[in-house]
Amino acid sequence: MGPAIETNHLVKRYGKVTAVDGLSLQVERGEIYAFLGLNGAGKTTTIRMLLGMVRPSAGEAYVLGKKIRLGEKKPWASVGYLVETADAYPELTVRQNLEAMRRLHPNVEPKAVDRVIEQLGLAIYANRRAGTLSHGNAQRLGVAKALLHSPELLILDEPANGLDPAGIVEMRNLLFKLTREQGMTVFMSSHILGEVSRLAQRIGIIHEGRLVQELDVADLEHNRWQRLLIRARDSQAACAILQGAGFPTKMTATGAIAVEETAAIERPDEIATRLVNAGNAPTMLVTEQENLEDYFLRLIGLNGKNAS
Amino acid sequence: MNNLAQAVWVETLKFRRSKMPPLTLLGFLLIPLMGGFFMIILKDPEFARRVGLISAKAQLVAGTADWPTFLNLLAQAVAIGGIILFGFIGSWVFGREYSDRTVKDLLALPTSRSAIVLAKFVVVMGWSVVATAVIYFVGLALGTAVGLPSVPDEVFWQGTITIVISAILTISLVAPIAFIASVGRGYLAPLGAAILVIFLAQIIAIVGYGEYFPWAVPALYSQGSPIGPVSFLLVFLTGLAGMAGTFLWWELADQTK
Repeated sequence: MGPAIETNHLVKRYGKVTAVDGLSLQVERGEIYAFLGLNGAGKTTTIRMLLGMVRPSAGEAYVLGKKIRLGEKKPWASVGYLVETADAYPELTVRQNLEAMRRLHPNVEPKAVDRVIEQLGLAIYANRRAGTLSHGNAQRLGVAKALLHSPELLILDEPANGLDPAGIVEMRNLLFKLTREQGMTVFMSSHILGEVSRLAQRIGIIHEGRLVQELDVADLEHNRWQRLLIRARDSQAACAILQGAGFPTKMTATGAIAVEETAAIERPDEIATRLVNAGNAPTMLVTEQENLEDYFLRLIGLNGKNAS
Repeated sequence: MNNLAQAVWVETLKFRRSKMPPLTLLGFLLIPLMGGFFMIILKDPEFARRVGLISAKAQLVAGTADWPTFLNLLAQAVAIGGIILFGFIGSWVFGREYSDRTVKDLLALPTSRSAIVLAKFVVVMGWSVVATAVIYFVGLALGTAVGLPSVPDEVFWQGTITIVISAILTISLVAPIAFIASVGRGYLAPLGAAILVIFLAQIIAIVGYGEYFPWAVPALYSQGSPIGPVSFLLVFLTGLAGMAGTFLWWELADQTK
């Protein structure tokens, strides 16, 4: 069994605009892969190419081992998806929307509708017209439609869109459960690194149509820069002591001394000892880690620094 | 074309639960009601003037209150009004998927896109047939109520056949409207197109080339104008082209909405 998703040098051009530019990625079976990028980065276009809605200008895409192109047998009986916004037929109730979708999936039992209503917490809205649902509940309905046929692969475009914090946690737990208990593979897009870092095992970061980095979530810790922030009663004297000891210093906007040397970050106790021995004891000593948003922006080159 | 029966079930559900059946039914009912109204006037113009149904100054077009005139009036109304009404149904059934942004949920399913498109055509054409039947049977009831003088069966059936053929011609021309709804990604473009072709049909018929303009053919046929097999062929080829275009568009075009 090969990967759940594989793309090779996938390209999509609309006239002179290149929406996706040579994208090659691989999503292993059973993993949650987050596809991260700003709005307009090419996430939805990639998802549409994976689902055969948009034809690539170049390159190829395989989903569950099947090549996505005209005339090939498609794997859609094993794929559930939610693309862009979660839309439903407004004049139909939640249950009728699900029933309509169920009938378009041959061999799916009628009780699947009740199962997904339960799974997504839609029971009290089951007989309500979809047009009257809140954004968050419409999103739940969108995910419920994707889960009706218990697919092997779930492709979700911004699944947390419109959900409140409790809804986001529920969605995260549901996706965890689906991958752990049913071995489902999840390929999800997002533009919030903090959100996907709690859920995904692997993250692919796309910017201006290109995959700029692919990493395991465990690597996030190592890749983010850290610095030691120090405050002392006499900041200038403290800077001089540290520079004398071979640690270049910077002053932050809030007046703290920042040291980015690895030796200092790994051994803050030594820094404290040096300052105390020199008669300028620190009043604050803290290791600060780059937050996920800053890391993401740095990675795609939007804060003026290059990714490591 | 797998799972077609279920696709038809789904399309019927969507149509049934929408506002389209009552709205279009209202539109269809206007046709026999107008026909009946004219029959009352033609039957006794002086009475119509006295009770105020028409103005005292009204100049009535030539016509008599009888079944051939009435059935012909219905056939013409189906031929001209049908392009708008049937086109309205086609515009909605295809265009709403784009306007409501639900089309994306139909594109990567184990039920093929062709089955979904065909199911939509089944619903559009099915409801158009129902509409024609409503027009016809309500027309019959009104004609009887008005007391139109009975005619030999042969004359009656001739009028009926004209209505049926006018409806078949008009329904065939819904397919290009469905194509425009798909390409135009919504229901405004096809509605505009339906109005435009009616306008063009009038002008082209006036200048004498109506038999070669598919959208003018049903009206010409219903009025009893002499048209040849080429005109019928043009209508069916236009319908087939519209249908093929719709299938190809759903299968091949980039779907970005």
